[in-house]
Amino acid sequence: MANKPKPRSRQLSVYLYIPNIIGYIRILLNCYAFARCFSSKRLFAVLYFLSFVCDALDGWCARKFNQASTFGAVLDMMYSTFLVGKASHKDVKDSSSWLFKLYYGNRMFMGFCCVACEVLYITLFLIAKNHTENLMDVIVTTLKQGSPLSFLVALSLLGCSIKQVINFIQMKTAADACVLYDTEKKQKP
Amino acid sequence: MANKPKPRSRQLSVYLYIPNIIGYIRILLNCYAFARCFSSKRLFAVLYFLSFVCDALDGWCARKFNQASTFGAVLDMVTDRISTACLLVILSQVYRPSLVFLSLLALDIASHWLQMYSTFLVGKASHKDVKDSSSWLFKLYYGNRMFMGFCCVACEVLYITLFLIAKNHTENLMDVIVTTLKQGSPLSFLVALSLLGCSIKQVINFIQMKTAADACVLYDTEKKQKP
Repeated sequence: MANKPKPRSRQLSVYLYIPNIIGYIRILLNCYAFARCFSSKRLFAVLYFLSFVCDALDGWCARKFNQASTFGAVLDMMYSTFLVGKASHKDVKDSSSWLFKLYYGNRMFMGFCCVACEVLYITLFLIAKNHTENLMDVIVTTLKQGSPLSFLVALSLLGCSIKQVINFIQMKTAADACVLYDTEKKQKP
Repeated sequence: MANKPKPRSRQLSVYLYIPNIIGYIRILLNCYAFARCFSSKRLFAVLYFLSFVCDALDGWCARKFNQASTFGAVLDMVTDRISTACLLVILSQVYRPSLVFLSLLALDIASHWLQMYSTFLVGKASHKDVKDSSSWLFKLYYGNRMFMGFCCVACEVLYITLFLIAKNHTENLMDVIVTTLKQGSPLSFLVALSLLGCSIKQVINFIQMKTAADACVLYDTEKKQKP
């Protein structure tokens, strides 16, 4: 509502960037998916998957149409691309954890772990028959079946577990980065 | 595991700052509270409240002992978000329609996330511009710490109260709220007041998202102007 004619037209256009429009569509897909998740599990799974496809799509569109934006990155939660610019992040990345290096060095591995989590969660939601399932029972029963589903659950359990380990390591390195930031700030008054 | 003798001792001491130790205690209180929330609602309410007290305490300690740290600020915010999120998840299991509490959860995360990232990525320079929002409500919220405190506390009080007054796991939210308000008891007054504060907080959340998004856009615009 302030009078800023020039920046305002540029501001409007960032909100109308193609990857950001895809971002809005993702949000609507998710809202509708969760609104219908109990009445129609299959619809939920399809919509959630579509939202996942859009996630990959908006990154591709951002590069293809040269419409990458800070707003878009924040909307997408792909903040890591912007944080790499910070000086202390380089020190932090020199973590001796081989797992950490593997995760951040290999995009396929990172992608596998992230997708595995989503697949595990959706699958667990789809195979639940009532609202008081025992998690261990369901997982053990499914794994014992020896079906393609068992293989899917086993593989996604593996990927999801690795992701959780990465999460812990990430928390530690991020905490160290906060501490390092304060230390460096004190050294340059 | 890298060899950094000097910075490492300074790093250890930040993790041992008094306000951060209080932060760890908060986390433990929350973990235990949520582990026991269904078997003992009163214990849960007491522990959750204690954690809230610690939240105020660690800020005071940080100033008194001059031990403010970036890690402490991040720890504080993350603990707040997680404890609110867990409580909202539990409320979504207890009350119908679940979507109400899941939406509150989404709004809480989205607005704080956008605000945090816009502040860190963009820096202080544009935050001042952004604050010149003509929204009177926004100015009131950020200008008056009592008002901000009231709204935040109201949300937590409302959530805890709704959890405590639920008798089973399939309560209809509207029914429970209307019935409680009609009683005309001190509880009705508490619920009414906290509903008011919580609603204002949600409006603030929406405004915060918009201003944070504008800050991101402004950042890109300024970046392009200074190559």
